[in-house]
Amino acid sequence: MDNSIEIENLTKIYSGRVTAVDNVSLKIGRGMIYGLLGQNGAGKSTLIKILTGVLKSTSGTARIAGNDLNKDSLKIRRITGVVPQDLTTDGDLSGRENLKLVAELYDIPKKEAEERIEVLLKMVDLYDVRNRHASAYSGGMRKRLELVCGLVNTPEVLFLDEPTLGLDVTTRENLWSYIRSIQKEFKITIILTTHYLDEVDSLADELSIIDHGKIIISGTSEELKKSLNGDIITLKLKNDDEINKIGEFKNATEIKLMENKEIRMKVSNSDEILPVLMKYLSDNSISPESINIRKPSLDEVFIEYTGRNINAEQENKDYAKFMRAR
Amino acid sequence: MGGLIPLTVRDLKRWYRNPVSAVVGVIQPIFWIVLFGSAFDIAKFAGANTSAIFEGAPDYITYLMGGILTIIGLFTGMFSGINIIWDRRLGILQRFLMAPINRASIVFSRILSSVVRIFIQVAILFGIAFVMPNGLKIVNGISILDVVILISAVLMISFIFSSLFSIIAVRTTKMETVFGIVNLINLPLMFASYAMFPPDLMATWLSNVAKYNPVSWSSQSIRMVLIHGSLTSSEAHTVLIYMLGLLALSVFMLVMTYIVSNKEIRE
Repeated sequence: MDNSIEIENLTKIYSGRVTAVDNVSLKIGRGMIYGLLGQNGAGKSTLIKILTGVLKSTSGTARIAGNDLNKDSLKIRRITGVVPQDLTTDGDLSGRENLKLVAELYDIPKKEAEERIEVLLKMVDLYDVRNRHASAYSGGMRKRLELVCGLVNTPEVLFLDEPTLGLDVTTRENLWSYIRSIQKEFKITIILTTHYLDEVDSLADELSIIDHGKIIISGTSEELKKSLNGDIITLKLKNDDEINKIGEFKNATEIKLMENKEIRMKVSNSDEILPVLMKYLSDNSISPESINIRKPSLDEVFIEYTGRNINAEQENKDYAKFMRAR
Repeated sequence: MGGLIPLTVRDLKRWYRNPVSAVVGVIQPIFWIVLFGSAFDIAKFAGANTSAIFEGAPDYITYLMGGILTIIGLFTGMFSGINIIWDRRLGILQRFLMAPINRASIVFSRILSSVVRIFIQVAILFGIAFVMPNGLKIVNGISILDVVILISAVLMISFIFSSLFSIIAVRTTKMETVFGIVNLINLPLMFASYAMFPPDLMATWLSNVAKYNPVSWSSQSIRMVLIHGSLTSSEAHTVLIYMLGLLALSVFMLVMTYIVSNKEIRE
């Protein structure tokens, strides 16, 4: 498969101090949905902004559909579609007018634009409300409008930056099915950033975990899960004495101390190791507050490679941010 | 300048769809002419000397007209930068930055839509000034050239100040910054000029300052064609100098705006 996007050593340093994107190199094949998974502030949005020409990189380069980012910025803007994290539609214009404005900005002939806009509005079920001001749309409708704004120019590459941020579960799943149908219908490359694990798991053909501006690991979801080499057992302990004792447990392939006296243990097969562990705990009079056994999941992959959890607190912050942005 | 027209149309749509801003835009010129023209009728005290004091104008409203037309251009121009910041804060600016357009057109569309709004206000103001009792009196007639001078003067003032404030808005994220600067300089610009009063009524230092204020140049040019109709050669010379001054400043500011907005505009 030929590559739709080739990124080489891309770096962005804000005001000479904060490194938001750190020497990123990445190849993304044509026609796939590619996930960039990371916490907020990991550098995903900055990367997207550089690739779409909104921001200039400090160093490095990228090619999008064969066009050099540093030389053919205008051409790249013409063949890419973007659905940014923030709402970018104008609440004072109707859904149809918003799309019409985008079509005019991309210099699409009037008649062609009108036909395309009708198709797009029908595709995301906004045709019946096309003449209503966007400010009167619900959060999910507004997001759907954003989604088709990125498609007006029938792009070769579509960037989706946290497309389901702050939306409820039903609306999110709805949006996912729209994204899938877009990919099928237009056969375009979709780059998706998110911090929702289920989102990449459900949508992305391949993904990269990005942390502190760096690509930590890339591959398919299955490959990443396999790379964990086993299951995870976490134990919440009470004191340092217990922690020291568990450190000597021989049947784990890896033992790590996490925050709040939590032990994260990697074992080849939890079904076989668990009885051994239980005996070890009782022999050494360790009584954990909780024991948790997990088969490999993207959640585990993320913790494994970044040392942190994508936690619920983060999501609340995101929702607050989303509401402010509206 | 791809994108200039659609973005201008969009800006105007926002304006007339927002009833408050549209109504304010229409009512404000009425306030200007009624309150400043009638309530502050200084000519009452001048009596028979009115014409001598106010450079040949039969009354204060007629004198004031040039100043108020200029001030409409000045104020609307100064606030044209605000919309850029507003779009930035709403996130809409990002959509424009991602589009394959010349980025200067994002800024120039604001300047253009300000100009359209200014002309609607100017037209309303003229209508009201004519129909109100003791309103505007054009004694010596008005030619096509006079109208061209009048329109160009207002146009250039709005170019100068909308450019200046657009340059400020290109990188600013805070509305307060622009409001602060507008508040700081609008009164000095208005009162340290010939917009409201002739130089003879000013302290000497003030009239010396006012001489170099583009607001004076525009006010005075419009005033001269409204009051005198056909100009004597010395009057025509004065108007020409003022208009050339305005032209030079407008061109300079528009070029600066083009360069700065094309290179520096950020989300």
